[in-house]
Amino acid sequence: MSIFTDIKKGLYRYEEPNGGWVATVKDAPALLKAAEKARDAGVKDFDVFSPFPIHGLEKAMGLSRSWIPFFSLCGGIFGATFAFASMTLIDVFSWTIIHGGKPAWPWPAYIPITFELMVLFTAFFTLGTTLYLGRLGKISRRPLVNSVTSDGFAIWIGGNLSKQEVENMLQGSAIMIQEVPRK
Amino acid sequence: MDSATNVYSIGKPAREIDNDILKPVESFPTKTWWVVFSIATTVMLIMWGIIGYTFKVGLGPLGINNPVGWGFYIINFVFWIGIGHAGTLISAILYLFRQRWRTTINRAAEAMTIFAVMTALIFPVIHLGRPWMVFFFFPYPNERGPIWPNFKSPLLWDVFAISTYFTVSLIFWFMGLVPDIATMRDRLNNQESDSKFGKLWLNFKRGVSNVLSIGWVGSGKTWIHYEKMVLILAAMSTPLVFSVHSIVSMDFATSVIPGWHATIFPPYFVAGAIYSGFAMVMTLMIITREVFQLKQYITLKHLENMAIVILLTGMMVSFAYTIEFVIAAYSGNKIEQYAFLNRLKGPYAWGFWTMFTCNVVSPHFMWFKKLRTNIPFLFFITIIVNIGMWFERYVIVVISLHRDYIPSSWDLYSPTWVDYSVLIGSFGWFFFWYLLFVRILPQIAIAEVKADEYGDQVAKGMGH
Repeated sequence: MSIFTDIKKGLYRYEEPNGGWVATVKDAPALLKAAEKARDAGVKDFDVFSPFPIHGLEKAMGLSRSWIPFFSLCGGIFGATFAFASMTLIDVFSWTIIHGGKPAWPWPAYIPITFELMVLFTAFFTLGTTLYLGRLGKISRRPLVNSVTSDGFAIWIGGNLSKQEVENMLQGSAIMIQEVPRK
Repeated sequence: MDSATNVYSIGKPAREIDNDILKPVESFPTKTWWVVFSIATTVMLIMWGIIGYTFKVGLGPLGINNPVGWGFYIINFVFWIGIGHAGTLISAILYLFRQRWRTTINRAAEAMTIFAVMTALIFPVIHLGRPWMVFFFFPYPNERGPIWPNFKSPLLWDVFAISTYFTVSLIFWFMGLVPDIATMRDRLNNQESDSKFGKLWLNFKRGVSNVLSIGWVGSGKTWIHYEKMVLILAAMSTPLVFSVHSIVSMDFATSVIPGWHATIFPPYFVAGAIYSGFAMVMTLMIITREVFQLKQYITLKHLENMAIVILLTGMMVSFAYTIEFVIAAYSGNKIEQYAFLNRLKGPYAWGFWTMFTCNVVSPHFMWFKKLRTNIPFLFFITIIVNIGMWFERYVIVVISLHRDYIPSSWDLYSPTWVDYSVLIGSFGWFFFWYLLFVRILPQIAIAEVKADEYGDQVAKGMGH
């Protein structure tokens, strides 16, 4: 049972910022601290924005580890099974051709293609899960703060807090706080 | 690691890193670029013209004949696939080994992989004789019986290996580009233009970067998944790259031709692929850092590391050559022994000795620090290594085929103008794509450079 809750916990999706406040901070360590404060204050909807991945972000945001590898594994198992089963079905049941006196079901010769399709489907499943969980593909989306794809760091805090509450929560580490319009 | 002790640290603020890396993308190409690009395009177009001609008249104008049924086309195919392997090695294997110096070269190396595989893919298709029947490769339910491909054949394994390799490399490369394209997209917000054409162009660029950045905003939740995805793709690409060239080598090794029928072929081909690929990466990097003023990013230390990889893989290749001869002598098989003597003294001995000089002798200059930090000399060696690796495939394909079991069927192989033009044209095709790449996409992974640069800061700040 616990593994299912674990999987579910590791499949958090990106949420579009809707209402609340966005605050910019100085650098990556400040962003991690801000995320920890939001986590400790029990804010439900918040996200951080940074130009590069930051080590220790899961812990700071109070998220569990990503379960993407589980779906990669599913993809791998699917690809390998699909390849091996199709070749078996084709060679044994659809049209058996004996080449060079080799057996009708030459399973060792299937290993290379089985391996290749395993890798291919692992990649597809990994990519698909990442796109799904990141809600990527919505090309009209823009960052709340323009600089977060260059040198800026920002935290979005959702919910019905007032500006003062957000400022208190971040304990003065916020450089600028802006309201995020509600959709 | 402390940033003071990190030899690969750039020591610049993030916005300047953006400016440096995106400069070639955001400025108008220079005259030199246009000249080189037009040469590449012309050569490429001539190649396609000649390929079109062979589609019309068949493979008659090629140099291939009865014993030598595989000529330049297959040599070029193996050569270009080999070139591609270094890109995956840098982007995946060095990633798993946490080699920091890969960060600044991995994007360009991956791009090289994709363009090299695109070049390689041309050859088996145009060598079919009836290239419009290429769909016969793919097993799908059809009305021809159904007739299925032979799953026991390494040639079919190749179809799967190379198409998987291309697809996975493309996914890996594109997903790596997404955060950087988002950076480009958001920089376009600050730009304005007065002229009508300028506005149109800006809107076009905005549109393209909107689509290609697939809505990336650098969200923490997305980054966590993204990092896992990169790890998984790297972990899958690593065995993939070994499997691809192993399968290419099996095209040869599973046949009974003397000189091909050897169990050492898979590791030997993989080592050779990495060897030639690194030489090609280095050729491109030496030009790139000079032309685009990226010497701070691709430093002498990077080139030195690549030179050491070339030395290592060069020795692996030399070792494989030696083993081939030893096993041939030890086998007691007269025909096998003759095939190898024929390499040393036969009509194509010049090919063998060119290969030997280029691949076995030249990497040993890399033992000397003075030589491996001398950039013009390094450039020269990388070219030599690639010539040598092309001749390695020439030796394997032509020398083994031209004299097999029955002396009455022996014949010589002489390539024709078609073979030479397609060989030269393949470089035109490769550079056509590469030159476009350096002008429209960031050739250094910006987000990764920043993560390396400021990762130390995070570790210190958090008191880890």
